[in-house]
Amino acid sequence: MNSLALFDTSPKALVKFVPPPFGGLVRTALDHVRHGRFQRSLSLMVAATSAVSALEVGYEHYRGSYSNPVMYTPVVLSGALAVASFAAVFSRRAAQTWMRWLSWITLLDGVVGFGFHIRGIRRKPGGWRMPVTNLVMGPPLFAPLLFGTSAYLGVLASYLQREEDSETGSYVLDALAVGRELTGRDDWRNDIRVGRFQKHFCIVVAAYTVCVGAESWYSHYKNNFAYRVQWSPILLTPLLSGAALGSLKSERVANTLLPAASALAMVDGVVGTYFHVRGILRKPGGRTKPLYNTLYGPPIFAPMLFAAAGMLGMMAYLVRRERSR
Amino acid sequence: MNWPHSKSPLGGAFEEPEHDGMHRLGPMQRISIPRRRFRDEDVVDYVIVGVGSAGGVLLQRLARAGFDVVGFEAGPFWDTERDWVSDEAGSHNLYWNDLRIIGGKDPLALGSNNSGKGVGGGSVHWAAFTPRFHPSDFEVYTRDGVGADWPIDYEDIEPYYELLEQEMPVAGPAWYPWGKPHGHPYAPHPMGAVGDALITGCTRLGIGVSAGGPVAILSASRGDRPHCIYRGFCIQACKVGAKASTLITHVPDALKHGAEIRDTSMVSRIEIGKDGRATGVHYFDAEGREHFQRARCVIVSGYAIETPRLLLNSACPGHERGLANSSGTLGKYLMAQAGNVILGRFEELIRMYKAPPAHALTEEFYETDPTRDFARGFAIQTVGPLPIAFAKQMMAAKGQWGWGLRRSMMDYNHWAAFGLLGEILPWADNTVELATGANEKDRFGLPVARVSFNLHENDKRLIEFGKNKTMDVMRAAGAVEVVQEQRFAHLVGAARMGKSPHDSVCDKFGRTWDVDNLFVMDGSVMPTQGSANPGLTIQSLAARTADYLISNHSAIQSGAKRSLEEPGIRKTLSPPGTFRSGIPHLR
Ligand SMILES: Cc1cc2nc3c(=O)[nH]c(=O)nc-3n(C[C@H](O)[C@H](O)[C@H](O)COP(=O)(O)OP(=O)(O)OC[C@H]3O[C@@H](n4cnc5c(N)ncnc54)[C@H](O)[C@@H]3O)c2cc1C
Ligand code: SF4
Repeated sequence: MNSLALFDTSPKALVKFVPPPFGGLVRTALDHVRHGRFQRSLSLMVAATSAVSALEVGYEHYRGSYSNPVMYTPVVLSGALAVASFAAVFSRRAAQTWMRWLSWITLLDGVVGFGFHIRGIRRKPGGWRMPVTNLVMGPPLFAPLLFGTSAYLGVLASYLQREEDSETGSYVLDALAVGRELTGRDDWRNDIRVGRFQKHFCIVVAAYTVCVGAESWYSHYKNNFAYRVQWSPILLTPLLSGAALGSLKSERVANTLLPAASALAMVDGVVGTYFHVRGILRKPGGRTKPLYNTLYGPPIFAPMLFAAAGMLGMMAYLVRRERSR
Repeated sequence: MNWPHSKSPLGGAFEEPEHDGMHRLGPMQRISIPRRRFRDEDVVDYVIVGVGSAGGVLLQRLARAGFDVVGFEAGPFWDTERDWVSDEAGSHNLYWNDLRIIGGKDPLALGSNNSGKGVGGGSVHWAAFTPRFHPSDFEVYTRDGVGADWPIDYEDIEPYYELLEQEMPVAGPAWYPWGKPHGHPYAPHPMGAVGDALITGCTRLGIGVSAGGPVAILSASRGDRPHCIYRGFCIQACKVGAKASTLITHVPDALKHGAEIRDTSMVSRIEIGKDGRATGVHYFDAEGREHFQRARCVIVSGYAIETPRLLLNSACPGHERGLANSSGTLGKYLMAQAGNVILGRFEELIRMYKAPPAHALTEEFYETDPTRDFARGFAIQTVGPLPIAFAKQMMAAKGQWGWGLRRSMMDYNHWAAFGLLGEILPWADNTVELATGANEKDRFGLPVARVSFNLHENDKRLIEFGKNKTMDVMRAAGAVEVVQEQRFAHLVGAARMGKSPHDSVCDKFGRTWDVDNLFVMDGSVMPTQGSANPGLTIQSLAARTADYLISNHSAIQSGAKRSLEEPGIRKTLSPPGTFRSGIPHLR
């Protein structure tokens, strides 16, 4: 394996190229991720993404006037999840109880919401007989599933070890064996605990990317792809999801194509955000009509969803592959 | 298939709505209308003359409270799927097109485009702009020494504003900064190009502007009413059912609770008994036969022209100058709002029809500004004239006709229009009287109304200033050519409410000073009109009077002394599913 170190693109090998002042830091971080000891940082991320989700679904549903009371649930849930996962940064208990259960409920809410959005599209004149029109004009089909992402990460985080666990010495031992002893179980939870969930994660990345890609396709279709850059997420979608699926079979792909495609997606998300903000400011009234223009301008957080796909891909690249049972 | 030679439309003819005995209000709402339940000999609790903006709300609330009520309506009970079309010319029958005589130095154009006829009245063809009045509107005389004070203040009507905004419901921004700041129950609408122009023009001039409302058009579906589909036929009655009108919001609930509506029944006279109390109304049915309906209490809600006309036509011994006219103010202090239309041509496409006419406005100039040389103020709003209205405006604004007019018409898609909405003060010489000419009678032989209107110095200055400001905004928005037409909108007043029987027709609940059981409740009771569209205020006042009638029912029926306390709001009277729906209010 290490005969051709030059061609080794695994995270471990690449970290060697980080310049000295950061080297130690990055190595520790990588070590944490690879051994599933990053509950605190992932919780922090969950807190941030759920806060953004709450905002986003808050104003999107405001546009729909909360005409169905169920439209309040994602706002309330993701708000609560933001609080719980912030608490989880400081408390292991909160991570394993509040964050875990709220994440599961929010995930369920996303699935239920998916059902409601399907119904919303079906209820439009013409229903599924006019799929393109009603996809474009109706409630965004996949949004509730995408909204579940932070919840999914919350579930994941709740099963991880905490950063400080490395000091307990447990990591010197075979963490797997410890987990087996602790929980009396040897299943996916243990895999997550020790940071071995690459394949599982790749499936999620692929599915997620396809959903975001579809969303961006029909949202950009709304203005007829007036800017050529609007094609970028649509072109990157097969690349990233393909890389994620390829990673299931080949570790090589997981170490090369996956991080490359993920990095592109992240860059694209940032570029997209810039364009969306510009679009909002260019609306009549510009910054003097912030609420209105955010409501009806290009959705400001949407490109970040695509960046999130890249970020998930990157995480998949960093964690270890499932052990062969 | 013998297409292309067949004369039948491609894909077959459209289906006729089925004859199932049901009456359609919008594409999704079906109701059954109970036919004539009360007999002429029955003494009903309340008779309401006119089922329009105010009448519809009164009817619904009194019926819900369990009273026997009959609403008389001169026009038809629309079946919206059969009677309405999305066509400008085809919607002409929505208006009160009967003869009316105009006079004065600045005569008002009456007839079409002015007041409604048919169940729902003016709310059927209104644009549904629903701003509230400002607190200052209720004390114009105290603050500015002009006009009049209301016998109530903003706080008395505020809870009814909140209630009616939910019942219609109103879509608008979550924070509305003018008057007393408040929020709206439904989300704002996406903006059309006219609204975009208003926002662009205002922001370039540093003028605050409200986007997406307030307007009583559904921005999200609710119950059996679909949301707006943005194709601009609101003034043609909105066949979609997204725009609120009492026909589709309050009337179905009224019928469900036992109210009766006698449509195509024109009330000709209110009968006064020997004891000086109203005993009922005379009316003509669709065939022109005269009837008399007995009632314990009569409420007149016939619009600012027909209300004084009916009261004047009801003159009788003891009331020689007309009913409720001992003060001599009946028919006086009629008001219209300055409604100049400012049109601007843009290089880019505007397509005015692609949005409701009402969707953005500014009230930045609403209040009296001491630096200006006139009292009170105005609002600037979006309007969206369809081609026929546009042609008339171009004719008036540019004096065009023939080929020139055709050229302008072909340019329609490049024009945007703003409406000025300016407060005109109440003046005693702006009047509704009975026409005296031999030919000035309607088909029942009743004298028609004669409406005189004059502008006074303050009004002229206000219009001049407001018109120029609106043109500035239009230019700032990027219009390359700007023209304007002088117009008037929204008639109110002529049966004003007040604190004293000497200078007003009715008290603060609309009870006439002269006849114990006769009420006036519609736009005609307004002492001043602000520069907000009157519809929301008219419906809110009606809901408040309904609460009053319910609280003081036995006193009103018996003629005993009644209290003038605020009745207290009854939220349980809202139509089902409307109260507490929508986005929680900002306080
Ligand atoms: C083009 C247009 C746009 C408008 N847009 C707006 C807007 O955006 N916002 C707003 O707030 N306002 C608007 N208005 C004004 C609004 O429509 C009226 O102010 C309001 O409807 C008046 O209510 P009302 O109850 O006084 O009378 P109406 O609603 O007119 O009701 C009177 C009813 O009484 C009936 N009637 C009269 N006399 C008799 C009789 N003798 N017997 C039986 N029935 C009788 C009439 O047929 C009519 O149905 C608009 C008006 C027009 C013309
Ligand atoms: S624009 Fe909306 S409210 Fe106006 S007529 Fe069309 S559907 Fe009705």
